Amino acid sequence: MMLALIENAFLSLAGSAIPASTVVVLAATGVLLNERVGVMNLGQEGLIGIGAVYSVIAVSSWSVGSPWIAMLVGMIAAAVAGLVFALFVVVFKASQVLVGLALALGGIGLSNQLGTNRNGTPIQVQFQEVNPGGKFDDNDFFEAFLFHEPPVYLAYIVIPAFLWFLLFRTRHGMNMRAVGENPAAADAVGVRVTWSRLGYTVLGAALAGAGGAYMVLSFTPTWSPDIARGRGWVALAVVIFAGWRPFRAVAGALLYGGMISLGVTAQARGWDLPSLEARDLAFFLSMLPFLVTLIAILIPAGAAKIGRRVRSTAAPAALATPYSREDR
Amino acid sequence: MTAYRVERRLEANPRHAALARIYGAIIAMVVAGLLLLLTGRNAFQIFWEALDAIFGSQRGIEGVLLRAIPILMTALAVALSLRMKVWNIGSDGQFLMGAFAAVGIGIHMSGPGWLILIVMAVAATAAGALWMLVPALARAYWDVNEIITTLLLNFVAVQLVVWASLSFWRDTENAVIQSTKPVPYTLAGLPGTNSLTIALLVPLIIAAVLWWIFRSTTTGYEIDTIGGNPRAASFAGIRVRFRILSVMLTTGGIAGLGGMLQLSAPGAQALGPGFSAQFGLSGFIVAALAGAAFGGVLVGGMFIASMFFAGLVLQTKGLSVYIIFGIYGIILTGVALGEVAARYRLVRQDILATERAAA
Repeated sequence: MMLALIENAFLSLAGSAIPASTVVVLAATGVLLNERVGVMNLGQEGLIGIGAVYSVIAVSSWSVGSPWIAMLVGMIAAAVAGLVFALFVVVFKASQVLVGLALALGGIGLSNQLGTNRNGTPIQVQFQEVNPGGKFDDNDFFEAFLFHEPPVYLAYIVIPAFLWFLLFRTRHGMNMRAVGENPAAADAVGVRVTWSRLGYTVLGAALAGAGGAYMVLSFTPTWSPDIARGRGWVALAVVIFAGWRPFRAVAGALLYGGMISLGVTAQARGWDLPSLEARDLAFFLSMLPFLVTLIAILIPAGAAKIGRRVRSTAAPAALATPYSREDR
Repeated sequence: MTAYRVERRLEANPRHAALARIYGAIIAMVVAGLLLLLTGRNAFQIFWEALDAIFGSQRGIEGVLLRAIPILMTALAVALSLRMKVWNIGSDGQFLMGAFAAVGIGIHMSGPGWLILIVMAVAATAAGALWMLVPALARAYWDVNEIITTLLLNFVAVQLVVWASLSFWRDTENAVIQSTKPVPYTLAGLPGTNSLTIALLVPLIIAAVLWWIFRSTTTGYEIDTIGGNPRAASFAGIRVRFRILSVMLTTGGIAGLGGMLQLSAPGAQALGPGFSAQFGLSGFIVAALAGAAFGGVLVGGMFIASMFFAGLVLQTKGLSVYIIFGIYGIILTGVALGEVAARYRLVRQDILATERAAA
């Protein structure tokens, strides 16, 4: 009886945590891609907003009928913003922190402004959940893990797997990591540092845009101001927790999503603790995702400090440092 | 035909850098104005209306100064950490926690007003510093990047304030209002003004003290050395970790005190979900604009506070608050590019040749 209850709770948590963290997973893989080549883009919050609002515009103003194309529009919009960011920080070598924050602000402002007349309107074009067939229907376990929209599987399995293979199993990936660790050395052996940083910054931005697109085309599915609500910052945090490794980033994002869905589940089921009013519990649970993310960041550094051997959890050595040949 | 070329300077002179940042900000404002024009808004009219709103009346000037207090406090906090190349992006959270602590004291303690206000100020400073404790320890001893940790705590602080104002400290007598009970004590008014209190003096005093510390004391020198090169600082015998910890806690305390000052202005007095109108963000931009020079923070703070106030006034005339966010972003980019530009100089080719020959 008790076991069944726990299993039930776990499955319903997993079932809602997976979609809740998809945005963070997508943005975090983008951040990972940026940071592996040494570019720190703090503008994730803005990129998610831009990706989301342009997907909404694609559907509602340009009457795009396919969620994939709407998502592509959002990704392209975010990529353009990422290109502007990359131009400033990679080519002009401006401070990545300042321009990144500017992108966060500008992106939030731009997307909220563009979305002003679209608040709360339901989005008609949505991703459909995959349905693997009738025989899984009654099974809670399969329901929790199988019945999601296609972008979820891309975000959790396909993209991280590809990223892992690219980074750790190909020569090109080794060059990428070299650009993030020691751009001067990479440059000396003929790796094109500037192009690599430009390209992957834009690609990373597009992934954050895909996260925003997923929000409005599937998760919410409607536009509301400040759509990212901190998910962009969580994505940046998750990558630190992950020690810049793709599948650990997925795990970190799930941790966040688990906390979010804990709040949702608690409210839906009216969980009540004797000493706390349900309302107070809800308030507490709404700060938990950010608290847990904060603690998660501290884990790798803390573990390394108390002598646990953790495989390379350090940031890429040249992270957030512009590279110019003249400085060598 | 004289050819020019861009040459890199070995070191950017601080005066050049400051000028370049200001030029960057001015160009950014022009770009923002052009964008407003392109989107069919009359930028000139907005500009004149803003100037009129600010300088047209004593109310306007006082309105700017009133907003300048929280912005200056968070800006000073950010600027102090920037001297050490530490980014405190969590000043908004520390500000809120300061206000949170101040409300807690103010609505639960009774006694002579001046005493309660002092206790509130001390508690707010402590709360702001405490909110910085985990990021500071993590940065100082575990080398955990402080940008993300301080920022995440902003979200926690916002939620905590919402919780307090809708639940445990909620004003139940006015159940419609979603805020805490009001604190009955307010700071003394500034003579000759209608809405300002002595709170205005606090950022000025703190700026002066910080300026003096960095001009004349070993502490200030050590902090600047750490900002320049932490490894060299540690070889020189400076206790780098301890300094990082103490400076970060101090910045948290300053921002926290800002929360108390904001709370004890007549009319504010209660804490609700909209208590901090992103003051930490404005403060960050001020500090970046000023390049962490404390005199510059005062000037930049007035500039951003004017913009903030003008934005509030113009909001009633259909300019959305989102546009202000966008303009902030453009200004920040302008400042960052100005910093880069200061590292280069434009020289005429023939002069360069003579310089080279002389060297």
